[in-house]
Amino acid sequence: MIDINALISTIMNNQVNIPLLQPLLDPLLGMPVIGYIIALILWKPFFVLILIPGFATMGIMLLILPWIERKMVGRMQWRVGPREISPHTRGIIQLLADSLRFLFQEVIIHKDAHKLYFLQFPFLYFIPVLLPLLFINAGTAGNPLVPIQTDYALQIMVALISLMPVFILGVGWASNNRFSFIGTVREAFLYFAYEIPFIVVILAMIVLYGTSNTVGVIDKQSGVWWGIIQNPLAALTFFIATVMATARLPFEIPEADQEVSFGPFVEYSGIAFGLAYVMGYEKMYVLSAIMTMLFLGGGSGPVIPGLGDLSYGIWFVIKTLIVLVVMANLRGVYPRYRLDQGLRIGWGAMLILALIALGWSIVVMGVRL
Amino acid sequence: MEYKNANIRFLESGLLSPFKKWAAKWSLWPCHFITSCCGVELAHAFACGYDGERLGTLNMGISRQSNYIIIEGTITRKMARALQFVWGQMPDPKFVNVIGACGERGGIFWNSYNITHPSDIVPIDFFIPGCPVTPEALLRGVRATQDKIIGKDRKTIEFKKVELPFEKRLKERMVPTSPKLFAPTPAIKVDVKSEVDWGKELENKLKKELDGLYKSITITGKNSIAIRTAQENLMEVARKLRDQMKMDHVKSVNVIEVPHERKFIVEYVVSSYSVEELMPVLVTVFTEMGVKDAKIQSLTSLWESANYSEREMHEFFGVLFDGNEGMGKKFILAPDTPDLPLRKEFKLPDERYVFEKSVTPEFMVPIEPPKDLYIPISEEFVEDAYASDEIVVPIGPHHAGSGHLRVTFRIKGDIIVDAIPEPGFVHRSMEKLAETKLYVQNIPLFERLAINDPVNMNLGYVRTIEKALGIEVPERAQYLRTIMAELSRIEAFYYDAAIFSLFFGHTTGFMYSMAIREMIIEALMRMTGSRSGPSFLVPGGIRRDIPDDVLGLTDNITFAIHKRMKKFEDIFVNNPVTIARAKGVGVLTKEDAIRCGMVGPFLRASGVNYDIRKIAPYEVYDKLDWEVTTGDDGDCLGRFLGRLEEIKQSVRIVKQAVDAVKGIKGAVLSEDVLGEYKEASSDIKGNFFRVFGNLVLPKGEWTTITEAGRGTLLFSIISDGESNVPYRVRVMTPCWMNLRGFMEALKGARYADFWAVYGSFGYFPPEADR
Repeated sequence: MIDINALISTIMNNQVNIPLLQPLLDPLLGMPVIGYIIALILWKPFFVLILIPGFATMGIMLLILPWIERKMVGRMQWRVGPREISPHTRGIIQLLADSLRFLFQEVIIHKDAHKLYFLQFPFLYFIPVLLPLLFINAGTAGNPLVPIQTDYALQIMVALISLMPVFILGVGWASNNRFSFIGTVREAFLYFAYEIPFIVVILAMIVLYGTSNTVGVIDKQSGVWWGIIQNPLAALTFFIATVMATARLPFEIPEADQEVSFGPFVEYSGIAFGLAYVMGYEKMYVLSAIMTMLFLGGGSGPVIPGLGDLSYGIWFVIKTLIVLVVMANLRGVYPRYRLDQGLRIGWGAMLILALIALGWSIVVMGVRL
Repeated sequence: MEYKNANIRFLESGLLSPFKKWAAKWSLWPCHFITSCCGVELAHAFACGYDGERLGTLNMGISRQSNYIIIEGTITRKMARALQFVWGQMPDPKFVNVIGACGERGGIFWNSYNITHPSDIVPIDFFIPGCPVTPEALLRGVRATQDKIIGKDRKTIEFKKVELPFEKRLKERMVPTSPKLFAPTPAIKVDVKSEVDWGKELENKLKKELDGLYKSITITGKNSIAIRTAQENLMEVARKLRDQMKMDHVKSVNVIEVPHERKFIVEYVVSSYSVEELMPVLVTVFTEMGVKDAKIQSLTSLWESANYSEREMHEFFGVLFDGNEGMGKKFILAPDTPDLPLRKEFKLPDERYVFEKSVTPEFMVPIEPPKDLYIPISEEFVEDAYASDEIVVPIGPHHAGSGHLRVTFRIKGDIIVDAIPEPGFVHRSMEKLAETKLYVQNIPLFERLAINDPVNMNLGYVRTIEKALGIEVPERAQYLRTIMAELSRIEAFYYDAAIFSLFFGHTTGFMYSMAIREMIIEALMRMTGSRSGPSFLVPGGIRRDIPDDVLGLTDNITFAIHKRMKKFEDIFVNNPVTIARAKGVGVLTKEDAIRCGMVGPFLRASGVNYDIRKIAPYEVYDKLDWEVTTGDDGDCLGRFLGRLEEIKQSVRIVKQAVDAVKGIKGAVLSEDVLGEYKEASSDIKGNFFRVFGNLVLPKGEWTTITEAGRGTLLFSIISDGESNVPYRVRVMTPCWMNLRGFMEALKGARYADFWAVYGSFGYFPPEADR
């Protein structure tokens, strides 16, 4: 039997504190059913997972991030980007139209495809992409905002991120198309190239922070001693690995649309492609959030008066957005590397950088001890 | 067609209809179907000048994910298959727009044997007229589709009848052109002796070398010699020419059919890259043979550069080139194209100007929608590839990163073992069409070889006529033609640079190049009145004088693009990733380049100093100060940088020419062609067909070479001396000549290098396929 009262007291003792909204929330909390729902939403782990920086923020990001990308790249290219759909808001709802269009479009399953897997994999792909959000700490030192606290948080995240390409391989295999085959093979090659430096860098940070609990990670970045200052090489390597993992330019090798026509996703249409299209941005968001947490001090920043805990969340989202925008801007600056060049960078420069970062961490730890 | 408006019906059904309509309206992702000229304007419409992305239309190019086809111009019989296939692959609801005149009823190619009407193949939502359409019109077409989606009915437009004051006068006038005069039994002679003071030495040398093998050696003009030989001696003559005379490449392979004499004339135009004195010389080796067993030894074993042209001639005329591996196979034409289309017995319908009510053009070839997707790869080929641990990847004709060319790769690992080209997706049969048009009507036709390099295409054709008629062009016109030709060269380069950067996934480079192109187009538009199809050059000069203020603007534009060129170089050319991708890739050595008969900047990039503007100067290139750019690397980066350097020289030429032309006053049309219409010497308007309608070229073959944007452009006109239409026109475009080297450069490269090589060659399928 679950002890209801103990559960309620757990929830009530761990509420998000937003002074500005408190006068508004207090009468609501007093109401019979609504009160419990509000209390549940304001329960810290739930709040973090559902609102900031969890699903709701991610949903909004997914809607505006492609727009930001298209607008910024457009500005770099002496043009305006999407606009006429809502001229007064500069076309901010463009992606809504695109996704609705995908939703209402026919989904074609060609006869050579493995029907079951062809439809399954894009949906299954959601799982490893969404789950790392459970361990992201958006708080600051002494004020954790994390859904699940565990001592193995970073290891679980790495495991889940390593799982992502497996689903892409499945997608490509089920498509049974030449270009998706080539794209899948490229993805598989590239996966090893970025995955090892990625893991080594995470290891370097675990060594540096002395813990793999995300709460501990944020605690070790108090003040201006963000991870990027403690170990800049690791931050650089992590960023490059993120760009590679999300197949952004200049490492847009598996999905190069001029070469392999979106690679694994070439046969997808309608909402299935819409999912795949959005998935790339989702992956970007999750990895940027991890980067913010590991290297940019999580939610630390000047406290916005009156917002209390929410202020940390807002700082966290702002930092994530900055990382995302930098990544999106790469599209306007760089062409695409060839597969072998990408692999050389992964197995060469990045691995060396990652190992130096690991060595650096060990030295720093030694000095500290 | 029962499918008509099914998409609209789908959007209007159900409770969610407003959302469906709204989403479809603002998310039309076009699957661009760049078939020919209009594709250039599509690039402009979606580049930074017009920015089609404002409307929410994002160019996609992948059939499964787009919902909108923009068919750009001519759909040939080969391309019709791809169109049908792509349309079938697209998910509903989908919309189709056709832009350009040739997508409607054929436009300028209306009587071609190789085109189809897109409306017979897929249901069309809107036709957008223009040849080529302007980007404004194209985007208006997108808006019209959006309006149709949300239910504003634009299916029927009622025209108001207006009384035009000049209607009566029009009726009294005759047809706007002269009637065509065909000689019933034309006398064809390709070696008409010319009285020029040139070449005695060379003639004697040839006579000595080829003793006993030739029938006659004739000097047919400055820098051209014709050798008549017997069918069985051709091989031996060719070998002598190659080994003793160092004639190392073939510029053109041509077949002329003379039906009433039941004979074919097969000729090879050869020239040399290795001997400097022989560079401008064109040696025509020809032989005659009966129509019945037209068979000749292929010269591919001697000259690799003859390979594709021989296959082409085999397809057009049925002459068998024994020894060429492509005999009996389709190369350019589709399986349902009429056989042997360039023979005289295959007649195209003639043009008619006044259509009476409800009379459709008599040329209604029953064009059925194609039933199969024709891929000329045998099963053995695929089996063989799989047996040796390779995969076969066909790319094109509709791929996000290819023009309308199909290349079939055999890939081992990531390395291209073999590349088999299949051109002809934009084959609009220019050579045959030219035989049904007056000499002067062919000017706009040949401009459409490469609409992104229009003036050079015109210049090549017009110079051939001028050579035949012996016309001296006034100096002012020569300067103006030089200015326009160089602007056109810059235009062609920046189109290729745009495509090159797009192939690397670098959209910013694409946009910057297109911005520069937009400015050049503006200058050409102020001069000629047309964005990209000026047809401004006429035999004897140009259509009308260009005022000084427009020339001043041209001068300003050369300054203005300078800053933007710098920005383009900063972001794309000096980008470390670009250099990594292009350096050392797709290398063509000097020997390979000569063997494959490369032309233009791509030949120069391999270290051969060959520029027609220097070796046989035309217009005023010899009066201006500029340098030829050559390189040694012969890789993608070298080719690209070489062209970039060449463009800087072009800007230099334009500046000098603009300065010079301001001081030269006078007529812009030669008195030799004007005859009694002297008043037209500064503006041909009103006298055009009176002056040019009955132009007849003297008997013989007239060949010129011109340095177009992408290399040597060879025009060869065969005239019978009586008709006012050409008997045969042979066009060898730079891209066609470069195709062999392009395929050679691919071997041993990586799969992803295809796009680097493709972009560096600036391969433009309409130009290659003609």
